[in-house]
Amino acid sequence: MVAPRVRPRLGRDEWLMGGGLLVLALYLAITLLVPLALMLTKSVQDREGAFVGLANFAQYFTNPALSGAIGNSLWVSALATAITIALAFGYAYALNRSCIPFKGFFRLVAMLPLLAPSLLSAIALVYLFGNQGALKGWLFGESIYGPIGIVIGSVFWTFPHALIIISTALATADARLYEASESLGASRWRTFTVVTLSGARYGLISALFVVFTLVITDFGVPKVVGGQFNMLATDIYKQVVGQQNFQMGAVVSLLLLLPAVLAFFVERWAQRRQISSLSSRAVPYRPKPSPVRDLALLGFVGLVALVILGILGMAAFASFAKLWPYNLSLTLSHYDFSNADGGSWASYGNSIRLALYTAVSGSLVVFVGAYLVEKTRVAKPLRTATHLLALIPMAVPGMVLGLAYIFFFNAPGNPLNFLYGTMAILVLATIAHFYTVSHLTALTALKQLDPEFESVSAALKTPFYRTFWRVTTPMCLPAILDIAIYFFINAMTTVSAVVFLYAPHTTLASVAVLNMDDAGDTAPAAAMAMLIVYTSAGVRLLHAWLSRWLLRRTQAWRLQGR
Amino acid sequence: MTTPYLRIRNLSKHFGDFTALDNVNIDIYRGEFVCFLGPSGCGKTTLLRAISGLDIQTHGTVEQDGRDISALPPAKRDFGIVFQSYALFQNLTVARNIAYGLENRKQPKAAIQQRVTELLELIGLPDSGHKYPAQLSGGQQQRVALARALAISPGLLLLDEPLSALDAKVRTHLREEIKSLQRRLGITTIMITHDQEEAISMADRIVVMRDGRIEQIGTPLEIYHQPASLFVAEFIGAMNLLPATRIGHGEIQLGSARLACAVQGYEPGAAVRAAVRPEDIVCTGKTNGHANSLQAEVHDLEFMGPFFWLSLGGGELGEHRLRAQLPSQRARELDLRPREALHLHIPAEHIRLFPNSYSHG
Ligand SMILES: Nc1ncnc2c1ncn2[C@@H]1O[C@H](COP(=O)(O)OP(=O)(O)OP(=O)(O)O)[C@@H](O)[C@H]1O
Ligand SMILES: [Mg+2]
Repeated sequence: MVAPRVRPRLGRDEWLMGGGLLVLALYLAITLLVPLALMLTKSVQDREGAFVGLANFAQYFTNPALSGAIGNSLWVSALATAITIALAFGYAYALNRSCIPFKGFFRLVAMLPLLAPSLLSAIALVYLFGNQGALKGWLFGESIYGPIGIVIGSVFWTFPHALIIISTALATADARLYEASESLGASRWRTFTVVTLSGARYGLISALFVVFTLVITDFGVPKVVGGQFNMLATDIYKQVVGQQNFQMGAVVSLLLLLPAVLAFFVERWAQRRQISSLSSRAVPYRPKPSPVRDLALLGFVGLVALVILGILGMAAFASFAKLWPYNLSLTLSHYDFSNADGGSWASYGNSIRLALYTAVSGSLVVFVGAYLVEKTRVAKPLRTATHLLALIPMAVPGMVLGLAYIFFFNAPGNPLNFLYGTMAILVLATIAHFYTVSHLTALTALKQLDPEFESVSAALKTPFYRTFWRVTTPMCLPAILDIAIYFFINAMTTVSAVVFLYAPHTTLASVAVLNMDDAGDTAPAAAMAMLIVYTSAGVRLLHAWLSRWLLRRTQAWRLQGR
Repeated sequence: MTTPYLRIRNLSKHFGDFTALDNVNIDIYRGEFVCFLGPSGCGKTTLLRAISGLDIQTHGTVEQDGRDISALPPAKRDFGIVFQSYALFQNLTVARNIAYGLENRKQPKAAIQQRVTELLELIGLPDSGHKYPAQLSGGQQQRVALARALAISPGLLLLDEPLSALDAKVRTHLREEIKSLQRRLGITTIMITHDQEEAISMADRIVVMRDGRIEQIGTPLEIYHQPASLFVAEFIGAMNLLPATRIGHGEIQLGSARLACAVQGYEPGAAVRAAVRPEDIVCTGKTNGHANSLQAEVHDLEFMGPFFWLSLGGGELGEHRLRAQLPSQRARELDLRPREALHLHIPAEHIRLFPNSYSHG
């Protein structure tokens, strides 16, 4: 006999969590999916909104002035990626597999570019190699404006991204493999290629695609130092802001979406492989001193660190120098901004507000959202759908997101139209732009908790939100802090999404850097970029201090069980 | 007979195409200690989660204390639960952990305090209230988890392999403690285990499961002495399972020996499995004073302290192998050596017959 199928009844917890999940899914749909979908439809419409099929695409590809950017973008990104990966691998290898001194210092220096907008490196390059550059001669008559500048600038700001990924892959080496290789009498070189490279191959692949996407979708560097050299990202800007040709902007956006989407899938694939290739019984590898290797690597790492510090130092110096290169006496006048065109302390204030709002509301939305995705007992399909929605931003370049927001929020009939031109839309865009990494960070932290906390809580008739507040949140506080700082710094430094969305009263520091540079006020632009660096660095320090304090305070219960 | 406290009827659980529970029926009475026993993956946890509402079954009903709770969410049911991982809230002290379920009930602080002290004493950790779980040993943590589950005085206590994460010595100790606690409180308890010794020593009744079905429900003695299926016979304790043939006159032929036993249900000539426990085999030595005897050779002797393991074969057993447990004292009397022939007596009531192959039912 077959008993009737049981229809589970929902309690208050289930309703609340399911409802929360639904709200989150709607939120992500509105701030992400619908705008993107709308942008796709714009690419097949004319200016009046009539369907024109692939006419826009045909126009794009038959115009060499436009479609030439594809080839440019591809080869410049490929070259910058190759250089970045090679440098980052050497650097990561030295940090993880050798016995060089000052590892902490070198690690810190390598992370510095994360504190600055990508524009900063470009501005520094102009000072170093531009028409009045100190090291102009080093280019043998070539101009920094163009591919050379774009490649060097891109390598600078994507370097830490590559380093983090490759370092993670190298840090988790299994010492047993090295011992096996040695005992089999394999040569050093063979051990290196077979064990080291193959062990890190997923990390390398992952880094490769991430960096390529970062470069090809970046807008700051080519805008400042690209000169007449067309790239896809700058083309979107030109089409939209320069010529108000939104349809063509949508076409270019679609093209830009392709590598990003591809990178997204490759990255996910590599991540999964990386994790499964590590057995839980792996023995951590401890490098042994080897004077020649260590000295060579120290030289290499020192050189890279010197270049990073040099670029940063150049920007810093430029922001204080009275009139580069004629009068190098120091002044604070560039930090005044009142005479500069396109920036002001108000922009800086706006940026701080944006960063604060994004950090607070972003980490709230992301953490609660990840909790609901991970812990809701009902509505399995909705959980999966929401998780997938949360992964989309990783595959969407900031420029594309910004343009999609124009289409969606500026549409006349949209009830959310009132958000257009406000600080709120900047916050929404920034949260959406950086959602995925934060979401995954939160999920990782949540997965480390005992999965039965919610079961115990339900058995004790305690509502889930109480346990969320009293147990889950305190235990995940370090991860929540990480998410907040990630949002803060990215909100401070990002240009790409917000450059389409700011209004006269919501100008931002990062956009001000761009506009001041555009207007020829390079020194104030450098000053503003450095302001962002100081702020990010300060917040980072605060974060480190807070984290340490938190760890000390909670040491009692974080003790490992015996 | 009283009505059951927990009544499980026609319970099934599907994960997609996979059937994790298949038409399970169990009655559990008030105050009983019941163990779910079975190999890994047989559906014990799935059944427990259906009873608790944490993962509701696909079909079938669960009644608790006369109330149909089949479709209710866990918060609407009446149970306490303890997991193998303890699942203690690490950021709360032991006392706050135990008080966790009480604090939600708007009881006066003093009453909560009183109850926590009471429970800390009950689990033998009166001075550990201010400590954090990470500062306790595994066994202590599991006792705290138990106290936390018992704090709200649930009608039903569910334990999912509470002892598996502990080392052997702590395990035996905690086994007795849980059992005596359960007796004292008289709380209806279901415990999952895949350790048969644990089940036999703790349970009032055991539910033996295999592949999502119930193989047998009975007291430890019934399960041990009257296994209902070949699977149970083999799974619980040590058991000889010998191929034999039913012959006429209430006898089976085993090797070249004929042994009397209960043969109901088997046609003459049918191939069967004869199940005999090693400790039920009586060695009579060189003499053969009994009916139901056979003669065989000692292949191997293994001294275990209080008893010997005997490996027997040859003689009337032919190719078959038989393991017997021989008390050390008796072995001394017989002065056994390897390769020696001896007579074995297997009482008819200790031979159980099963169909030759596994089957469900
Ligand atoms: N969520 C799920 N989705 C799919 N299959 C599942 C799920 N949960 C359990 N199963 C399957 O159901 C079967 C029974 O699982 P269950 O956890 O109940 O076993 P168990 O008897 O508790 O085993 P163990 O002793 O290993 O804990 C297993 O084959 C398992 O793979
Ligand atoms: Mg289980």
